[in-house]
Amino acid sequence: MRYLILSTLAKEDEEVQGVLKELKEQGVQISYINTNEKQISGCIGCNTCWLRTPGVCAINDDYEQILIRMLQADRVILITETKLGFISYKMKNVVDRILPLATMNLRFKDGQMRHYPRYKKKLEMALVYKGQADNVFLTEWMERVCINLSFTSLGAFDMERKGDLYHALGYDQLHAESC
Amino acid sequence: MHLVMISCTPRAVKASNTAKILEKFREGYESVGNTTETYYLAERKSWEQIRVAYYENEQVLFALPLFVECIPGIMMEFLESLDYERLAQMQKKHVAFLVQGGFAEASQLRCCEKYLNMLPAYLNAEHMGTLIKGDMFSVSIMEGDARKKMIAPFVQMGKLYAEEGHFDKEKVSEFAKPEYFSKRIILLSGLFSPLRKLVMQGMAKKLGCKGSLMAKPYQRYVN
Repeated sequence: MRYLILSTLAKEDEEVQGVLKELKEQGVQISYINTNEKQISGCIGCNTCWLRTPGVCAINDDYEQILIRMLQADRVILITETKLGFISYKMKNVVDRILPLATMNLRFKDGQMRHYPRYKKKLEMALVYKGQADNVFLTEWMERVCINLSFTSLGAFDMERKGDLYHALGYDQLHAESC
Repeated sequence: MHLVMISCTPRAVKASNTAKILEKFREGYESVGNTTETYYLAERKSWEQIRVAYYENEQVLFALPLFVECIPGIMMEFLESLDYERLAQMQKKHVAFLVQGGFAEASQLRCCEKYLNMLPAYLNAEHMGTLIKGDMFSVSIMEGDARKKMIAPFVQMGKLYAEEGHFDKEKVSEFAKPEYFSKRIILLSGLFSPLRKLVMQGMAKKLGCKGSLMAKPYQRYVN
């Protein structure tokens, strides 16, 4: 199992370090990116990645590494702080830049219009947040994000309840220890 | 009434669908004797000026494109940059939202709408409603009458907002239709899918695209 863990929190954040350590102990392969050490601009909505250079973002910064590592991973865990009841702008910028993984071509799936995915890629994604938020909303948002990319959402989890995350990841021993 | 309108798209104003829609909304809002001032988050140098306009005015409309199921990162960044201690001491503002998206069904914008229902409480503001409309992807690609026809209905919505002071739920729902497409349309769409792909590929070619829209430039990394 290959994990990509993306965090917008401070590099030395103890809880993130804890998650990394506990997952490593499960024998999984982890690729960790702290976005504060990277140059990641926000999406500028230019549609270049859909219409001019399909699959390639027009912005030349460190995001390409993230896109590539997503394609190499089985699971992506997004870790961020909440702001105003949503994820921080730093993480929203990371998520907004994911569009090269979708194509401009559309189809109907389960009664709604969807983008054709660019790659045949099974990816599971989870959101872990620190701070106040409406978990029901963030869970729904994560679900919607994944549906549109043909990924699977594992859910949204408050860092204070990381046992629930471990349960969703299938590590019931870690789940038991965290509860 | 005076309304501060903030366009929350990162796209340059000239190429912005949101800005074009907002311009129509402004026409309607001002047609009954109101005034407006418009700001663009894409113009980062003006952020301090936009913050001042936000603090000093009572009526604010945020207009935004749907970005990955919610508000764009640039809008979140702007909101995070506001002074919340100052806002807590101020009289509650009246805040409304206008969301436009590429997908045609209103149901695709509902998740974002849910967040926008929660957001005013964080801003110490009163929510005056949210106007949503899909199928706006090609506003800037269209030209002439085709574009005019697409965005003309926003004039009426601007006028309505001016007259009523909020977005009426029923009228907004009617404006946002269709919520979903009928099974018949979905079936027909499937039949026309190859044609649509050809049209899209043609559009891309005009924009300078040299390869397939389904290109897989990072395929070698896929596990």
